[in-house]
Amino acid sequence: MPQIFSPQADSTLRLAVALGLLALVAALVLAWSLARSDRAWGVRQPLAQPIPFSHALHAGGLGMDCRYCHSTVERAAGAGMPTAELCLGCHEQVWAGAAVLAPLRSAIELDIPIAWRSLHRLPDHARFHHAVHVQNGVGCETCHGAVWAMPQTVKVEPMSMGWCLDCHRNPEPALRPREAVFDRGWAGAAPGGLAEHVGLTAGSITDCYTCHR
Amino acid sequence: MREDPPRPWRALHALPEPPQPSAIPAPDRRAVLRGAAASLALAAAAGCDAPDNFGQPLYSRPRGVAREVSWFATALELEGLGRGVLVRNQAGHAVKVEGNPAHPASLGATDTYMQAAILSLHDPYRSRHAREGGRPRPPLAAEAALAEAREALAARGGAGLRILTGLVASPTLARLIGEVLDAFPGAAWHQYGPLADDGALAGARLAFGAPVAVLPDLSRARAILSLGGGVLEEGPAQLRLARDWAAAREAGRRAGHLPSLLVAEATPSLTGAKADRRLVLRPQEIEPFARAVAAALGVPLAAPAAAAHPDAPRIAAALRRAGPEAVVLAGRGQPAAVHALAHAMNVALDAPGTTLRYADSPYARPEEAGASLRALAEAMAAGEVTHLLVLDANPVHTAPPELGLPGLIRRLPFSLHAGLYLDETGLACRWHLPLRHPFEAWGDSRAFDGTATIRQPATVPLVEAARGAEEILAALLGRRQEGATGLGEALVRETWRAAWQEAEFEARWRAALEEGVVEGTALRDRPARLREGWDPGPAPAPPAGTLAALFAPDPGLWDGAMAENAWLQELPRPLTRLAWGNAALLAPSTAEALGLAPGDEVELELRGRRLALPAWPMPGHAPDTVTLPLGHGRPTAGLEGGGGFDAYRLRPADAPWTAHGLVLRRTGGRRMPIATDHHHEIRGEEIIRTVAPGEELPPHRPGPSFYPPWPYPGHAWGMAIDLDSCIGCNACVVACQAENNIPVVGPEEVARGREMHWLRVERYFIGAPENPDTAFQPVPCMHCEKAPCEVVCPVNATVHDAEGLNTMIYPRCIGTRTCSNNCPYKVRRFNWFDYARGGDGVRVANPEVPLRIRGVIEKCTYCVQRIGAARAQARAEGRERLRDGEVVTACAQACPTQAILFGDINDPESAVARAKREGRNYALLGELDVRPRTTYLARVAQAPEGPAA
Repeated sequence: MPQIFSPQADSTLRLAVALGLLALVAALVLAWSLARSDRAWGVRQPLAQPIPFSHALHAGGLGMDCRYCHSTVERAAGAGMPTAELCLGCHEQVWAGAAVLAPLRSAIELDIPIAWRSLHRLPDHARFHHAVHVQNGVGCETCHGAVWAMPQTVKVEPMSMGWCLDCHRNPEPALRPREAVFDRGWAGAAPGGLAEHVGLTAGSITDCYTCHR
Repeated sequence: MREDPPRPWRALHALPEPPQPSAIPAPDRRAVLRGAAASLALAAAAGCDAPDNFGQPLYSRPRGVAREVSWFATALELEGLGRGVLVRNQAGHAVKVEGNPAHPASLGATDTYMQAAILSLHDPYRSRHAREGGRPRPPLAAEAALAEAREALAARGGAGLRILTGLVASPTLARLIGEVLDAFPGAAWHQYGPLADDGALAGARLAFGAPVAVLPDLSRARAILSLGGGVLEEGPAQLRLARDWAAAREAGRRAGHLPSLLVAEATPSLTGAKADRRLVLRPQEIEPFARAVAAALGVPLAAPAAAAHPDAPRIAAALRRAGPEAVVLAGRGQPAAVHALAHAMNVALDAPGTTLRYADSPYARPEEAGASLRALAEAMAAGEVTHLLVLDANPVHTAPPELGLPGLIRRLPFSLHAGLYLDETGLACRWHLPLRHPFEAWGDSRAFDGTATIRQPATVPLVEAARGAEEILAALLGRRQEGATGLGEALVRETWRAAWQEAEFEARWRAALEEGVVEGTALRDRPARLREGWDPGPAPAPPAGTLAALFAPDPGLWDGAMAENAWLQELPRPLTRLAWGNAALLAPSTAEALGLAPGDEVELELRGRRLALPAWPMPGHAPDTVTLPLGHGRPTAGLEGGGGFDAYRLRPADAPWTAHGLVLRRTGGRRMPIATDHHHEIRGEEIIRTVAPGEELPPHRPGPSFYPPWPYPGHAWGMAIDLDSCIGCNACVVACQAENNIPVVGPEEVARGREMHWLRVERYFIGAPENPDTAFQPVPCMHCEKAPCEVVCPVNATVHDAEGLNTMIYPRCIGTRTCSNNCPYKVRRFNWFDYARGGDGVRVANPEVPLRIRGVIEKCTYCVQRIGAARAQARAEGRERLRDGEVVTACAQACPTQAILFGDINDPESAVARAKREGRNYALLGELDVRPRTTYLARVAQAPEGPAA
């Protein structure tokens, strides 16, 4: 009776199993790293905006305060977007006729909002409150990076749940004195004693309902 | 030693038999494996559901100040009378209604209709186009038609013009109607509301010779006699009366003797359910009973009471004991004589000035609606009418059929209907104009006590072509928009400019808009003397041995104008627990005599007209009487309006409330209405507890537990629900639905017991079905300390948080429903379908609350979004702790009697902590020792006629 399996059959099978396992591991590693990649989270990816606005020029070059345009950041959940009227307050004089500013003028004329494209929008089930974080000493820079140096605004942190939790589990290193929240490149020492500084009940900011509803 | 109280029961009918196990084929091994594989794959796929938020629009407004939330004070009308509301507007959308604490008819509370108004505003079935003969036409064509009508009418002094409205109390609407009547002297104005209480008006005319309005102050009442339900029922003054009643009861509980609420009625009502003594009387027995009580109180009557009612002397004695602190009120639909008797009894008790005051009617022109509509029908039949304007009324559906309105209207050369929907009248009229929702329009309203509110738009208009009723009248007058102010606003300003001095106009206008009430507009007291010969004498007795038909507003749809509202349709009615339809209610004894089981179809015949509908034995119903809830079964209403049976088809013009001579036949068919009696049934000891005044329940000692206690260093949220104050009105249920984006599941799913309400108001009967004691119990999530749901979740989707909330994490949930199985309170709801993304559903959602996807469990969160918002506000202000009262759940905010208290139980001074220290506090299913955070305050009962002293 002839042999069914050739002498190599056993090695081929072992090789195939090994390669298959390797491929599976490689696929998993690839999927895992893709899912965590900056690309998947939109980190450092500029978006085309209706007006090519430059934070580097306005906040960096001209030194405008964050709160001039994002005026509700100290009292509301949303930081607030400037109105077209506010932009035109300066741009009636400066660059008044520039074609890139046409969306401002048409917004006023037609009474329709300007639709920027959001870089930092969180999913619907996650809630973020700017004023609470500002009040508790989280600097703008801590989450948004060196916006004043960005000709095209990008996101610098993934804003994933894991990234939020890193801070919520141990907020101290990310905090600064309340008066330094809007400082750029602040390098002071973190104020000691979270409880006195923020008045947090330890542990409560990692509950699901802190951020989710 | 107290004897064991009788056990509460839920329904006369048994649960339908569950399918027998043998009926379900046993799966083979492969099918089981296939099923398991599919569910594993589905579980994995559930993770791939995140929406991509990167690059979503972020808007810059053109100008102005961006506010995340704004509130607008305005009013909603019922029977033409306003109840003040505050509308929350988020990013330009009206999203939630709350009561206006400054308004006397709301006091911060809301009823189901006010809560549900937000859904009607966004209803995709709203009329969107002007129509002529049913075909859409541009709005300008309608205006041209109105202009043409104006010219034709002006040529003959307005002869032939008739205006039909609902009851009107609005100063601006009344002024404009007056102007139309001045400009067209031959014109006439009719008012018709199907539920207008003509008997109250006729009774006031009988007693005082004038349309005097009685404004009760129940907070001072120690004895209330309600003839025919009434006091706590839905209506324009319900919220105020219920709050006052609860306040008097609260004071009574503290003083150790409760005020007594004595009710004589035929159909069980909320008032009857809360009565300290409830007498079941046939409708024709109420007047003789009132006469007997009046006689016992020494009221001089035209004729002595024929036969003294056995209970009358005791009721009279209870009223007599309370003296001026007693009040007698007659309910909606009672005949004029009963109202007159109530007035006379109040005078005999010296109640005016203490528990009630007299004022002029808040209506612009008080008139009997039935007579007014009949006059219109007769004029149309006589060919005297050429032009008919129907403003925000639906007489074709609601008028007694013998008037033949549809045919009469179709014969008119010009008829115009303005309404929120293209309803029956809209289809009968030549022209139809979409009407603005009250939240989109300018206007004004008066409350039952006369307090005026200027109504302002709380959202951008959602229907471009819609107009306000005032604007349509102005168009008939040939007035156009002048200046920058819109026409609607200009018309309201004009009214108030006449009332206020010019110099202070702007300041007062702004103050009125901000407050939601106009200072100093409440009705002033007026003297009212009992007329000589007020008593018309006893009414003739109806023929013996026949059934009586009793027509009643549906406690959910009111007169049917809200039949399109799915929240209201799906709301189990407080006493019948029916949803998505109605039924003929009759006494269990009558049903037994006629051999009727719940759901047996019967054909009713009244004066030659017939209607087939299911019979429904109702515990506590008067015998030989059939109650027919109005407002259901509208053929033209959209998807939601189809259920139920249209009782208007039987309603006679001369006896709109009680008609004798009803013939009932069994058809042999069965049509089980959708009953929710048995849904979410709790099994346990002493679900409803009742104590005597001052009695304390034995304290419950928690037993040992395997689970370690939770530390709560910060807040610990808790709730206390006062069963003695709860009137079962369902306002909390709709408020919860509106606040938490709870989906409507539709009649088939409700019939399966899958309604999604996070909060339900259970109704229990105690005692014999002839006249049982009725108890209400709102049941939200209990947020147990030792929560049975938490320990069984395989994926940790329901967890305890640092403030004691039992939190539900939707993205983790894989839908095993184990938690729901293990919940002894049956408060967890499962999303069987993808309601959040469901097709052409109504797009109204509170943006603070996420929508839940298919396959996850949801339940009451104690309005965690409100806790979060309050905490964020406090933190933004630099405060660590929240103050008591800073967090109010949606249910607590809506409650007219403030029966729901919510707050921090770690703070011993908080209202909820104080309530939980009361001797009446008990835990539902306390024997399970799951230590619920929501506890109940027991009902208080005393001898019905008050303490013997």
